[in-house]
Amino acid sequence: MFYRMGTIRPCSLSLVRSAERCGRVSQDPAAARRCFSVARCLRARPPTHKKKPRSVVEIPGLEPITYAERMHFVPGLAKPTFPPWQRGWHDPRHAVWPKYEEMEPQRERPCYVFHQRTAVLEGMRQALWLTKAVVKQGLPPQVLSLAEEAANQIENQDERVLHAIQHSRFWDSTEKKPSRERFCPVLLRDLLHLCGTLQVKYPALGKRMLAEKYSLSTCWTRGGDLFQVRGQNGLLLNSAFPIPVVAGREEVLSSQDQALETFYPISPTIDLQVTNVYWEKTDTGFREGYPYPHAHTLFILESGDAPKLREHQVCAKMIMFAFGNALARAHTLYGTEPRVLDQPVVVQSVATNGRTFSFIVFQLNTTDLDSDTGVKNLVWLDADQPLYEYAKIRPLIKKKVVQVPAGVAGYQPETFKKFLALYLHGVL
Amino acid sequence: MAVASLSRALRSLCLTQGVSRPAQLPFQAARLPAQGAPPSCSPTLVLSRGFLTTIPVAQNRTLWKQRTKYTVRPIGMKKTGGRDYTGKIRTHGIGGGHKQRYRMVDFQRLKFEPGKEEHSFEEKVIEVRYDPCRTADIALVAGGNRKRWIIATENMEAGDLIKTSNHIGRMAVAANEGDSYPLGALPVGTLVNNLEVYPGQGAKYIRAAGTCGVLLRKVNGTAIVQLPSKRQVQVLETCMVTVGRVSNVDHNKRIIGKAGRNRWLGIRPSSGKWKRKGGWAGRKIKPLPPMKSFVNRPSLARAS
Repeated sequence: MFYRMGTIRPCSLSLVRSAERCGRVSQDPAAARRCFSVARCLRARPPTHKKKPRSVVEIPGLEPITYAERMHFVPGLAKPTFPPWQRGWHDPRHAVWPKYEEMEPQRERPCYVFHQRTAVLEGMRQALWLTKAVVKQGLPPQVLSLAEEAANQIENQDERVLHAIQHSRFWDSTEKKPSRERFCPVLLRDLLHLCGTLQVKYPALGKRMLAEKYSLSTCWTRGGDLFQVRGQNGLLLNSAFPIPVVAGREEVLSSQDQALETFYPISPTIDLQVTNVYWEKTDTGFREGYPYPHAHTLFILESGDAPKLREHQVCAKMIMFAFGNALARAHTLYGTEPRVLDQPVVVQSVATNGRTFSFIVFQLNTTDLDSDTGVKNLVWLDADQPLYEYAKIRPLIKKKVVQVPAGVAGYQPETFKKFLALYLHGVL
Repeated sequence: MAVASLSRALRSLCLTQGVSRPAQLPFQAARLPAQGAPPSCSPTLVLSRGFLTTIPVAQNRTLWKQRTKYTVRPIGMKKTGGRDYTGKIRTHGIGGGHKQRYRMVDFQRLKFEPGKEEHSFEEKVIEVRYDPCRTADIALVAGGNRKRWIIATENMEAGDLIKTSNHIGRMAVAANEGDSYPLGALPVGTLVNNLEVYPGQGAKYIRAAGTCGVLLRKVNGTAIVQLPSKRQVQVLETCMVTVGRVSNVDHNKRIIGKAGRNRWLGIRPSSGKWKRKGGWAGRKIKPLPPMKSFVNRPSLARAS
């Protein structure tokens, strides 16, 4: 290694040293072990040594002579070090983020995050524990009576629903068989469009807004741990008016006696993302003064890249995100102090995989979630209702007998009636 | 590498010339062969004869298994074909077969969750399934905040609760199958599997399908276990062990059926060459090897 003294360059001295060094290289033991005649893999010997990093001696006042100005490697001269290259503009594809340990809001207390890619192990039981909710099978009677009423039906309803199914499964694309990522959103859009035709009869349906890719953020404490529901999730149908309360005061108070199901030895925080870098903020995803502030129904689709969820895990996702929307609304209305709400917040949720539908009505009665005692939240669940059994492009034939004919088979009108009832809930 | 050895060869030329012309700059040495210096006169050139202009690529990379963090997700494996890292055949008769994925089995049964060091903990079996990497079945268990794969025992089913304890009491415990205890806590005569040899090392013995060992006796802080091969080993009584027999008991009774099924498993046909039968063929009568002791104690002479 050569050093430069200030700006004077001892040229002749360096050359003498380089000649000495050249003589020494051939006796280097590391070089003797290297095999130049054949490749190492042919010689079939393990690498006997690891190259040690060269120790660089720093002499104060002297600056090493590098081969930077030669612009190529020169033996004996030091390797130049350059400052890291700056692009000069922000490229999001090559953005350099700080390491996790150096990220800004580092907290002592870990936070457990539920987001759209979370698949919780215990499914619905875990979601019910996290939201401190009690489940009731079947939709609430108000919604069911809406579904049964003949005045609420669309004219030629069954035929038009069948058209919607056929559109999504057969007529939508030129492919032989559209994928689930394709027909699932198309079917949902068609059904929503069908429901929207009732606006002639009920003008209040015009005070609705469908939001895609909205982002939610809310946090709460449960059993001494901090939890968050965060991120984008599904389509949200917003409304200018809140949904009326589903369960009355007596029913809410009677939920005090019901116990929450536990699942020892598994902890309720299993499979949630643990992080120490987070903001504790409440965000409904919409600005203040948005004319449709009340979350009405959340539509969750089976998305392509997310992990495949089982049925009870889909229910867990619906409960968690419906709860998150309700809690964010309650926090903006009543503040983040834990309390029993005078006016409960109701949010509905619908999940579909393009064939079956799951419906949930969530009523947030309390934001005091830390302890297991006291008033619980309420969930009405109607899971896994098929809209149709088969949608076949070619008939399924076994032993020369047609098992399933081509086209849509096994259509069940009840499922769409429930869908329509949830849509109309809060208007009449 | 090629550039380095080329420059060394040129530098050696520079040295032979440097006696007459010491002021010659090193980077001008490249011109020297053109000036007519005979290369054979340099002794240092002999070492660098025949250097390659290519770099050997590492064979059989094992990047897929170099992982520090535990995961229950299956990891895609790369087939070695019986070759080692230099590319030479280490084991004959391996190659091809169905693609397999590796699931990290946690052989260290007694592993407390951070912050929860107590005497014992329980876990719940979520699923029991086939594992392509071993003969026994594996079970996914969850407890507290974590999930892990373990070797399943004979009657393990989804929904079972299994216990792990490190406590050695005065009385022997009545253990259920699938539970894990130190050898000192179990009654003599228990069928065990997944035997640790040194405490805290992780199970090394009795992991194959359908095997089990017997706890023969407990002596003076050590325990003697009979392995499936009828050999006896002596280990410390704090070594962890699982109670019961390893799953997939009928593994030795399955019928391969055809040569192609062995190929599915990644086993290639053996050589068809005729070989004279030697000493390896026929019945052998030999005594069992002596008991193997994994107990390192200071000798009596040193202690006194």
